[in-house]
Amino acid sequence: MDTSTLLLALVACPLALSVLIGALPKTAPRAVFELAHLVSAAAVLAGALALALPVFAGGGEIWALDPWFHVDALGALFVLIIGVIGFCIAVYSVGLVRQLVDAGAYGPAQVKVYYGFFSLFLFTMLLAATTNNIIIMWAAIEATTLASALLVALRRTKHALEATWKYIMVCTAGVAFGLFGTLLVYANAADVITDPHMAAFLSGVLPEASRLDPMVVRLAFAFILIGFGTKAELFPMHTWMPDTLSEAPGSISALLSGVVLKCSMLVIIRFDMLATASIGPGFPQLLMVILGACSIAFGALALFAQTDIKRKLAYSSVENAGVIMFCLGVGGPVGIAAALLHAIFHGFAKSLCFLLTENVEHAFGTRDLTLVKGIVERAPVTAGLMVVGFLALAGFPPFAVFISEFLTFAAALAAGAPWWLTLLVALALTVAISGLTRVVLTSVFGKTMHDAVDTERRESTPWMIVPEIALAIGLVWFGVALPAPVRSGVENAVGVVLGAGTDGLHTSPLPSIVFGAADPTSEVE
Amino acid sequence: MGYELVNLLGGLLIVTSTAVVVTRSIRIAIRWYAVQSLVLVGLLAALGVTTGAHELLTWAASAFGTKVVLVPLILSCTYKKMGRPADATIERVKPAWTIVLIAVEVAVCFAVVSQIKLPTAEIAVPALAISFAHFFVGLSCIITQQNIMKQMFGYCLMENGSHVTLALLAPTAPEIVEVGIATDAIFAVIIMSIVVYKIWNETQSLDASDLTDLKG
Repeated sequence: MDTSTLLLALVACPLALSVLIGALPKTAPRAVFELAHLVSAAAVLAGALALALPVFAGGGEIWALDPWFHVDALGALFVLIIGVIGFCIAVYSVGLVRQLVDAGAYGPAQVKVYYGFFSLFLFTMLLAATTNNIIIMWAAIEATTLASALLVALRRTKHALEATWKYIMVCTAGVAFGLFGTLLVYANAADVITDPHMAAFLSGVLPEASRLDPMVVRLAFAFILIGFGTKAELFPMHTWMPDTLSEAPGSISALLSGVVLKCSMLVIIRFDMLATASIGPGFPQLLMVILGACSIAFGALALFAQTDIKRKLAYSSVENAGVIMFCLGVGGPVGIAAALLHAIFHGFAKSLCFLLTENVEHAFGTRDLTLVKGIVERAPVTAGLMVVGFLALAGFPPFAVFISEFLTFAAALAAGAPWWLTLLVALALTVAISGLTRVVLTSVFGKTMHDAVDTERRESTPWMIVPEIALAIGLVWFGVALPAPVRSGVENAVGVVLGAGTDGLHTSPLPSIVFGAADPTSEVE
Repeated sequence: MGYELVNLLGGLLIVTSTAVVVTRSIRIAIRWYAVQSLVLVGLLAALGVTTGAHELLTWAASAFGTKVVLVPLILSCTYKKMGRPADATIERVKPAWTIVLIAVEVAVCFAVVSQIKLPTAEIAVPALAISFAHFFVGLSCIITQQNIMKQMFGYCLMENGSHVTLALLAPTAPEIVEVGIATDAIFAVIIMSIVVYKIWNETQSLDASDLTDLKG
């Protein structure tokens, strides 16, 4: 199979399986739904690996239905995030859905909706990451909301419905701003570029971006940042997120925060490339630094105050989305590399933590951290994974997030960011570290409450534990020894974003620890 | 003459969207929305004939099917299925203030569009300004209306505004782009209707103030 066909198959497979699941009667055996669901996720994983690894190694590009689908190193990185994390969450979902069916929370209709929309959700994310058409890119991000809305509402409680309603209204309204920004770029491009038929395609506009009207580009970029920033969980457009992530099943929260957030960031990065090529880096970087710093500060303070574990993680997403945005705003090869690495590592850490919330709820019957004490006694495997997940999220070494946060400060120093802004970010991250570490100290290792009558051990099933272990291994592995394909993939992606060389990753002292020092002999030659 | 008709139909869009927002009865608001969509179809057709962009005539035909027929049908069915709830008349802002707000939005959008240097913006400033304003009227509807079905209308108005902007700024965009946006909109209305129906079943209320248990 050639790479173009593979790209189309990768996008089409989850859509086809979603339709297939939709066509099955809800009375069909649960195993049939599970099989179709797992085939869909496995196909996405296999396709993502087969597509991304050659791109990482060779730094090339893949086209399909030229010019509609395009995967470069940047796109491949996000396709891989969708494939790997999506697969782990898909496997976990089998255990979670079985648990919810056993508890009477889901009936046959919910099982069908869950598996059908899960595959559709994967399809929309892959479409956003692989399309070259800016309007389809918007439609795909909008479609992620529609594909996931009913998944949020599945618990059929008043709170779940309230969260779903806020999710749909805020996200559809917010992302509509993105459409306006996209249309402005398209209209201007259709007027000024050599081939107007290519005005809706990134590959058509980017080479001629300098001909776009600066006023239109500024207005469009502001709209795009508001629009896609809503879906990327950035402050102050994040208002849907704490309610939605706290009421959705843990697996869906993991997808929303661990994967969809990154797809929205990819769209922002694509438009940042366009804006920078058109009006220079000043305006886009200023907006992104402001939005990033505000998100970090707000997210950190809000997460510290939460007692509901899912809400705590939700606000942590605002903070981490802020870190990615701040890195993009700081710019330069180190800033972009930090943003991309943080997107990968946060995806792993946040997905793991959200999945673990269901283990905790299963063991204790509550998400309230003031009542959840002594996880280590009741669910020791979950406790071990929580230590990894929460400490990784907090940015402790040797876990992977430490590298990206370390590079964040290296990038800020290299770019000469104002010292007070860097200090503000550092203080906010300290607050976040404190809030996340407290969960480990008090809930994982804290003493079981004396009045707790039910002390029965309740570990989750292997279907749930094994994918969590896989994510935890990824966090340790990436932290201790970043695999060469990921490292070269990130470096190639940085080259795509900057449209220039990535020497800064090898010549600066701190980033060279991660990316390797420049070979002195090559300079002599 | 062609662009004058386009601008005139743009003006009618604002009148009909105001009617959708201020009408207290959901049943009548659905009818006003259908009328507005008909105006939108006329605008797309007029623009298609004026600019010679045959794609817009296809858009007009598909918009007739989706926006004039399908969306109002989905909204009506949802409303009927709930037994035409009596409390569908709640609003946070009085109709008079809503009209003032819409007028301000049109004025601001007019000022902004005048600054944009795009060919369409120079020829059809009123229509483009109205399409922008239409988007913000929809947004205002979501914020000011307390009835969740009326909030759905807000989304539909925003979507109509985007549609007109797309037609004005990108009349020769590939049809698949329009199909993508229209499909998204239809699915959005279907999903929202399902959620509204579930909320009604759970709470017997369409009042957004009954959906404030979560802290946000």
